Amino acid sequence: MIDSSLLLAVTTFAYLACMLFYLAGVIFHYRPILSWGTYTGFGTLGIQTAAILLRWKESYDLGYGHAPLSNLYESLVFAAWAIMLIYLVMELRSRQRTLGVFPALFAFLAMAYASFSTGIDSKIQPLLPALKSNWLIAHVVTCFLGYAAFAVSCGISFLYLLRKTQTDNPGPKGFFAILPEARQLDEFNYQMILFGFLWLSLGIITGSVWANSAWGTYWSWDPKETWSLITWFIYAALLHARTLQGWRGTRVAWLSLVGFGCVLFTYFGVNFLLSGLHSYATR
Amino acid sequence: MQKESGFFQAFYDALGSLKLTVSVFLVLAVCSIIGTLFPQGLTPDEVESRFRPGVAWLVNTLGLADLYRTGWFRTLLLLLCVNLVVCSLRRLPKTLRLLRHREERIDPAKLGKFSMSRNISTGLSWQEAEPILTGALSEEFRSVERVPEAEAFAATAEKGRSSALMVYVVHLSVLVILLGALLGSIFGFKGFMNLSEGESSAEVVLYQGNQAIMLPFEVRCDKFSVTYYDNGMPREYRSDLAVVEKGKEVYKQSILVNDPMTYSGVTFYQASYGSTLKQAEVELQDRDSGKSYRLVLPFRQMVEIPGTRDRVQAFEYRQDLGRMGAAMVVVLSREGQDPSGSWILIDKSDFHGNRVQNYQIKVLGTEQSNYTGLQVKRDPGVWIVWFGFTAMLLGIGMTFYMSHRKIWIWCGPSAGDRFAKILIAGRSSKNPLAFEREFNELCERIDERLKSAGTGN
Repeated sequence: MIDSSLLLAVTTFAYLACMLFYLAGVIFHYRPILSWGTYTGFGTLGIQTAAILLRWKESYDLGYGHAPLSNLYESLVFAAWAIMLIYLVMELRSRQRTLGVFPALFAFLAMAYASFSTGIDSKIQPLLPALKSNWLIAHVVTCFLGYAAFAVSCGISFLYLLRKTQTDNPGPKGFFAILPEARQLDEFNYQMILFGFLWLSLGIITGSVWANSAWGTYWSWDPKETWSLITWFIYAALLHARTLQGWRGTRVAWLSLVGFGCVLFTYFGVNFLLSGLHSYATR
Repeated sequence: MQKESGFFQAFYDALGSLKLTVSVFLVLAVCSIIGTLFPQGLTPDEVESRFRPGVAWLVNTLGLADLYRTGWFRTLLLLLCVNLVVCSLRRLPKTLRLLRHREERIDPAKLGKFSMSRNISTGLSWQEAEPILTGALSEEFRSVERVPEAEAFAATAEKGRSSALMVYVVHLSVLVILLGALLGSIFGFKGFMNLSEGESSAEVVLYQGNQAIMLPFEVRCDKFSVTYYDNGMPREYRSDLAVVEKGKEVYKQSILVNDPMTYSGVTFYQASYGSTLKQAEVELQDRDSGKSYRLVLPFRQMVEIPGTRDRVQAFEYRQDLGRMGAAMVVVLSREGQDPSGSWILIDKSDFHGNRVQNYQIKVLGTEQSNYTGLQVKRDPGVWIVWFGFTAMLLGIGMTFYMSHRKIWIWCGPSAGDRFAKILIAGRSSKNPLAFEREFNELCERIDERLKSAGTGN
């Protein structure tokens, strides 16, 4: 009997395979393997989409009836899905296949952490009263699209910095010569950050509107809220510096890494290290 | 004098500078981090008991335990506002000038120097080509403007002109949001109200400054209930509320955690719950006379001890007082004396300290009642904040994904020839790659139409 947990187990390993294809393609400078990465990526995304929809249906069968976005396990699965979706759309539009290593790695790590960590419960749980709202889907989806775009941007930033280490040897024989030019990477990175910033803003705002209807205050400096605002400040600083001050390349890449560090802390650090109103996201 | 205006100019420039913007963003980020790492909401006394004197002094002076409400943190937010106002004021005239700019003439020689430009030759005269060009341009661009030119057709076409203004919409939206928050904090209030089942009250205890306010109406809790799922997780917290005005019930609603009640601008949220004392049955023994009395004390109501002029009441109740179990305060009021009271341990009836003045008190039984904890709020600024949010999202989306795209076109007689020569150039404020595709398509469409019109002749 096919159920969502089986499909999600398949997804986990398929993302690992996808990452290895992309990695092998880049290391051996062999483009056909890169396209295997693409096919695996699309196929896995399809399986994972089916798994998420199936889990949604299963929650109705259990009598709970809620979107699979209610706890840490489900949010990790959704994060992996969003990262791969955003990356693959970017790959189609930019026709660049060499940037897939990090997105596939992040998607695999998210799935593996969700599946294998003993502290994370993968059972379908009923919704707590605080989460019973139409805002749940809007808030989680917008936030995670933002996080996922920043994850992809973080991957591009790594590649940019790697590529930059070889500026002395820019010829076609360089190890990273298969990657797009640094200038192009910088442009992709910028586009990803714009996309992420828009969704992060939407995520913070939907969260704020929701908080107002659940707790009676649209901003309470709860650690999660504050950390998402810190992330917003970092990327806002980056965008201003890049647009007006002409910051390009290396500095933008480093700021993007710092920004993604903030995203990770907002997502995990706040849950495990700080207490606050978002405590239902820890299990 | 010269020097002074130089100083003010430099100060004004610094206030509107991008360096300040980026610095304030990063400083705000760092300060906010401190606020999430340091426990918020400790009172100064708690800080002093937790930290060494020097550290406690520093924490209390900087207000680290209530960081987001300190003057210096708000000053940082104010600085961000000043910065974005000054920088917008400095840049806006330039943007407006750019948007208002109209070409007085188009120099065909200059069009060739654009990074995006194209030469098209045709077998038509420029008068014949003109309607074809205007037609093709106005399909793509809403505003096509002819530049007066006697011996040629020259025009500009553009779209997305307002996208250059969107960044000001984003800046303004930040001010609008903060204005909404300010109005809310001045003209609104935020507090809580605990209501036992059946109790009604108009008193709201505010979070700030240990004060209470009275609402112009009373709220009554008819019933509070919690339901659970099969696995023991809570499913729903529900309070059945009624609004009572001048003794008459005027409105009824049940509230859930995500479903508050709003009545005349005041909103009631399901925030917490608990149980409290409804009444206690006690035995009082007068140690002087040896007489004992059995009384039922409804919570916070005076009861006279029969045959005396002493009155007692159960005044306060805790489910667990300092790990000694349930306890309540019994207050004794005697004529001509100040009331006196003491904590009575309910579970430890033999405790020798269970006494008030000459009465030894034993609690025989208690009856509890549920209470619901309501968060009560009035925020007239919230709609301004929502408006600011909407403007911010629209502004960010349009700043990022719209660009100002402009086409220059010149079509005139080439030297010594009756056939027209056409020059097209284009420029986009951002995303040049996407515009290049659009530009090429436009040029090809024009080329095709000119050709088919030429063969038609």
